[in-house]
Amino acid sequence: MAKGEIVKRVLDYVVGQIVDDPNAVEVTIIEQGPEDVIAEVRTGPGDMGRVIGRRGRTARSIRTVAQAAADEEGITASVEFED
Amino acid sequence: MVEWVEVRGKSIEVAVAAAMNELGVTERSDVDVEVVQEPEKGFLGLGGRDAIVRVKPRVRRGRGRDRRPRTGASRTGGSRPEGRSRDAASRSGGQRGSNAPRSQGRSGGNSRSGAPRTRSPEAANRAERPPVDVNPAEQAPVVEQFLRGLVESFGLEGSVRVEIEDDVIIATVEGEQTEALVGVRGSVLDAVHEITKTTLHRQFKDTARVRLDIAGYAERRRQALSIYAGQLIEQVMSEGGEIMLEPMSAADRKVIHDSVAAVDGVRSYSEGEPPRRYVVISQVEDQAGEEGDDEGDDEV
Repeated sequence: MAKGEIVKRVLDYVVGQIVDDPNAVEVTIIEQGPEDVIAEVRTGPGDMGRVIGRRGRTARSIRTVAQAAADEEGITASVEFED
Repeated sequence: MVEWVEVRGKSIEVAVAAAMNELGVTERSDVDVEVVQEPEKGFLGLGGRDAIVRVKPRVRRGRGRDRRPRTGASRTGGSRPEGRSRDAASRSGGQRGSNAPRSQGRSGGNSRSGAPRTRSPEAANRAERPPVDVNPAEQAPVVEQFLRGLVESFGLEGSVRVEIEDDVIIATVEGEQTEALVGVRGSVLDAVHEITKTTLHRQFKDTARVRLDIAGYAERRRQALSIYAGQLIEQVMSEGGEIMLEPMSAADRKVIHDSVAAVDGVRSYSEGEPPRRYVVISQVEDQAGEEGDDEGDDEV
């Protein structure tokens, strides 16, 4: 299993459920260390606002869920939202 | 133009971020932070407390020490080194460069004249919307489907059930493995709850209320709350006086009220406004008097 696979699958799913254009959602996993990944999240134009949410509330929730997914793999994951 | 805000959050970091957002400042180095209260962890989210920070834009050089709130502040506009953060804040208020009192733009957004306010960053979205045209029966399958997909994306085995009770969508995720979706003190559960609501908002203008339990956590929390309440009741009975609890949700307060109502010699009531509403447990002087509480059975 590729590192960060569950993280990617979960982020693809969750972000895809929030945006208007799920096909434009792109999640890239970048290995940082043996137990550490960064997940870069991109969305179609206009969708990032919804992903961030008011006061970053949704983004915070997404990060928490992504880390829960990372826990399943015994790694840590930080999420970066790329505009 | 010293405006400072006092913000409460789960951690200092969260509170500062919310405060900066509030002030319209993006750089951490542009604010001064005073920690009013360090956060403390509790048990299952009980007995802990939030961080409270006081944050204000950092004033650098320039106009010196005269930092009286409001009066004359807006006159000196662009030449001030600290104009940047001020502008950022003004812009959102649409009051840039005018003498009019600021802080009118964003509803409740900027603080006036440095008056302290404590607010929870979580509070923002909490405002009850009137239940117009909300059709829980139409929304429940969306909740169910989202949660199913989530469990599946995690690769977990588990089941999802939704019911509607009093127009509230009650979603239950079960299965040993779904413990992974609970997290420390229910943090992941709260996040899943939040995202579930967000997905509803994408499809429906007015959304039904959603209650979520995963792997029996909410039920266990109820039990832990009862035990906690029992300890506090004993303390009040032996020491007298009153004990003020930390703010809790309506559901949590009800558990406390119910526990107190079952014991003679103590009573409980709630004070404060949601989401900072909290329960007070107090001794009843007249032992023969009512042992109940003022709201345990209906409104909590």
